[in-house]
Amino acid sequence: MKKYFSVLLFICLSVSFFSCTKDNLVPETVIPFQKIGEGYAAGAAVKVELYATKALFTGYNSLYLALYDSSSNQPIENAQISLMPIMDMGTMKHACPVQNPSSTATEKLFACGVVFIMPSGSMGSWSLTVNLGLNGKQGKLTLPVTITDPVQSRLRSFVSKADNAKYFVALLQPQNPKVGVNDMEIAIYKAQTMMSYPADSSLTVSLTPEMPTMGHGSPNNIDPVHTGNGHYKGKVNFTMTGLWYLNLGFKAGNVIADTANHFEVNF
Amino acid sequence: MRIIYVYVLVFLPALVVQAQTNIGEDSIRTVVLQEVRVSAQQKNQQQQLYQFFRSNQAATTEDVLSRLPELSLIRRGSYGMEPVIRSYNSGQVNLLLDGMRIHGACTDKMDPASIYIEPVNLSSIEVRTNGSSFLNGSSVGGSINMKLAEVACHDEPVFSGSLQTGYHTAAKAFYRSLNLNYASGKWGFKATGTYRKSQNYRDGSGKTVPFSQYEKANYSLHAKRMVGQDMYVKIDLLADDGWNIGYAALPMDVGYAKARIGAISLVKEKGRNGWGKMEAKLYANKVQHSMDDTHRPDVPMHMDMPGESVTSGMYVQTEKYIGQRQQLTFRADASVTSLHASMTMYQPGQSPMYMLTWPDNRQFQSGMAIQYILRIDSSSQLQVHGRADRSSFGLTSQMGKDQLAVFGYAGQHSSFFIPSFSVQYSRKLDQHFKASASIGVNGRTPTASELFGFYLFNQFDGYDYIGNTRLQQERGQQAELTLSWQPAKLNLQVTGYLSRIEQYIVGKYVPTLSTMTIGAKGVKMYENIPHALLAGVEGSVVYKPSSNTILMATVKYAYGKDNTGAALPLMAPLRNIGSIKQYLGKLWLQAEMETATAQNRVSLVAEERTTGAFSLYHFRLGYQTRGMGLQWQLNAGVENIFDSFYREHLDWGNIARPGRNLYLQVGIGF
Repeated sequence: MKKYFSVLLFICLSVSFFSCTKDNLVPETVIPFQKIGEGYAAGAAVKVELYATKALFTGYNSLYLALYDSSSNQPIENAQISLMPIMDMGTMKHACPVQNPSSTATEKLFACGVVFIMPSGSMGSWSLTVNLGLNGKQGKLTLPVTITDPVQSRLRSFVSKADNAKYFVALLQPQNPKVGVNDMEIAIYKAQTMMSYPADSSLTVSLTPEMPTMGHGSPNNIDPVHTGNGHYKGKVNFTMTGLWYLNLGFKAGNVIADTANHFEVNF
Repeated sequence: MRIIYVYVLVFLPALVVQAQTNIGEDSIRTVVLQEVRVSAQQKNQQQQLYQFFRSNQAATTEDVLSRLPELSLIRRGSYGMEPVIRSYNSGQVNLLLDGMRIHGACTDKMDPASIYIEPVNLSSIEVRTNGSSFLNGSSVGGSINMKLAEVACHDEPVFSGSLQTGYHTAAKAFYRSLNLNYASGKWGFKATGTYRKSQNYRDGSGKTVPFSQYEKANYSLHAKRMVGQDMYVKIDLLADDGWNIGYAALPMDVGYAKARIGAISLVKEKGRNGWGKMEAKLYANKVQHSMDDTHRPDVPMHMDMPGESVTSGMYVQTEKYIGQRQQLTFRADASVTSLHASMTMYQPGQSPMYMLTWPDNRQFQSGMAIQYILRIDSSSQLQVHGRADRSSFGLTSQMGKDQLAVFGYAGQHSSFFIPSFSVQYSRKLDQHFKASASIGVNGRTPTASELFGFYLFNQFDGYDYIGNTRLQQERGQQAELTLSWQPAKLNLQVTGYLSRIEQYIVGKYVPTLSTMTIGAKGVKMYENIPHALLAGVEGSVVYKPSSNTILMATVKYAYGKDNTGAALPLMAPLRNIGSIKQYLGKLWLQAEMETATAQNRVSLVAEERTTGAFSLYHFRLGYQTRGMGLQWQLNAGVENIFDSFYREHLDWGNIARPGRNLYLQVGIGF
């Protein structure tokens, strides 16, 4: 018995040691974003957590998905993900522009984007479906989401005079405007069908900032140019604090698509 | 009771030049306002002379400055005129107070240092136009040094002073000034207080010029303690406050303009082994200025525009005599100037719009200068001047750097090294005739406005100006010739000068930039143009047919063109001032005539206006008497007797100068 006792003790200790370490070896990922929702994607045995930098609003939302194996709780860093946001308006449904994440996570998060084109409310309600494919299995999770209008609008739309199609323009930068040179970024999507809003890279954008109360602009701005996935990046210069209009002009080739839109920046 | 009298000399430029009999510096014109006879040096002697103010006492420092042929005044309001030498701009000339550097706090140049000084603070004003100005700093145009008055120390306790009060009709302006001096043993104190209040003035057509009022007070304290044979410590404190100052030429007025100035100096009048005067000074000053548009009707948008400048510095200057013929003066100085000015615009219902018009910046300056005078023989003299100056400018706040990043500023520091060198040769050609010629090279750094200014509205041409952090320094080459003829009773002097400035700084119109100021015509950015040329002639004559009669006349003319041959802006036209003064016992009478020709050669690029010719006639009188143990002095006169409607070419805006002005000044000395 004594002989077996030490073996038994060794086994007990190693089992407890191993089981403890198993839990201790999985580090807690601290995600500095706001959790919008979570759930299990049935079929893929994956737990999905949805994060955003702030509460969802009409405009371009930077979203982050964290996937965990539902039995082992290990973070999953490779998966095929596609998003399908749907607004249910009762009589009909429609989607909105989406930027699907890459199949590899960066720091255990899948970065993606959704441009909600109207707020939740009397018109209808939004839901976001996350379609997963990994290891040959398909899974799906649908989360209800609430979208509100921001204080300062970050979404514009126009019907192009060149091809009569509807385009959505979302303002990404500047998020924290300051006096001086600021990054300026917009994302443009074309409404192809009610369910499909592909990113657009064909437009030429001109940027003319202006202070409406003063009637002056600012010098040395750089028009946004397409850098990928419908994102256009440039520089906007502010010479002072206050209310600014970022006037945007869009051309398709040589034909003017729209000149009537601007974003307001107030700081 | 022994009373020491304060001997005060009138300013007559030629008179002062005549007083130079030793190794003189002919390139300096001195306006002597008060000369203090230092009786303490001769212990048992006392001067019994007591005369003061033999001509009209200058109403303001600027009135005094305007009488010198080398100086012109750019006027932007009823007071607050910018003195410039010849037709150089303010960035090209050093305006100093007792050797101290002081920087205005208004981005629109409404407050040159001279507005914070009253004549009662000063003993003299020195204008140096060529190499001899290197002792005061690097410049292209020269230096104007306003020297503070000192008190004399006496063995016996002495209390003296003066009280003056005056009234001018053209602006219904009051002026009151008190000057107290107390000296006893090793100590001497001087305290002054001045108050002025002026309402809107009336111009020659009878109209009242709105927004030309001002009100200000000035206090100063000066203390001196002897600390040894010929050595003393002195402290100067000066505070000047101006408020409710109208600016007719600009769309807003001045809410307040304040200066606080302090200095401590150690002076040794005479040394041994050939060492002459030695002085070390440590100083600091702070100027605050703020615009105010709340009194104007129809303001499109209310703005706050405060500005501040803080300068501190030091200098050391010594003289050494080598034998009978050589004199060496050596000076080292350093200063730091910090500037900040902002503009906040308010529109109801919106967040305020804030920007820095002077992004916070700092200038470090240090330099050394040498002056060498050699008296070759009794009739000829050689002077050599040299200076090396190092200045570096930098932005000190992140917001300032961010703002200028819009124009491509990438964190670079602007550093300048300015060498200056000049040689002057003077020769007495015969008994009455003297000639003096000088040539030299000089330079100046750009000003902080020229480097960092952010949409500074310039009322002169109606453009917003933006600084250029890549500006180069100006480099000048200058030649000057002075001929003077002094037979008996006559003193005639003519000076001609030629100045070629390379990398001349001007504003150039940039059509792609949109204006910031509502109503501005466009935006100009400072840049260096290849060169500009300035030339001119000044003459003065003083004739004393008898001991009681003095005739004086000055004339000046300037010509300027840029590298394309176009006229430079703000060139004063031909100007002449002539006066006759007659002494009749205790009374003196003076008749004056000022004329200016039309200036039709204007800068088309700056859309400068031409100005018509004008003549003005003045009559002044003064009377002195003693009574009740006090010295009384009365000054009265009529300026612009014929109520001419006129405008000086250098004045901004279409604002005319005052019409007929009667004035009366009463002074009491004790």
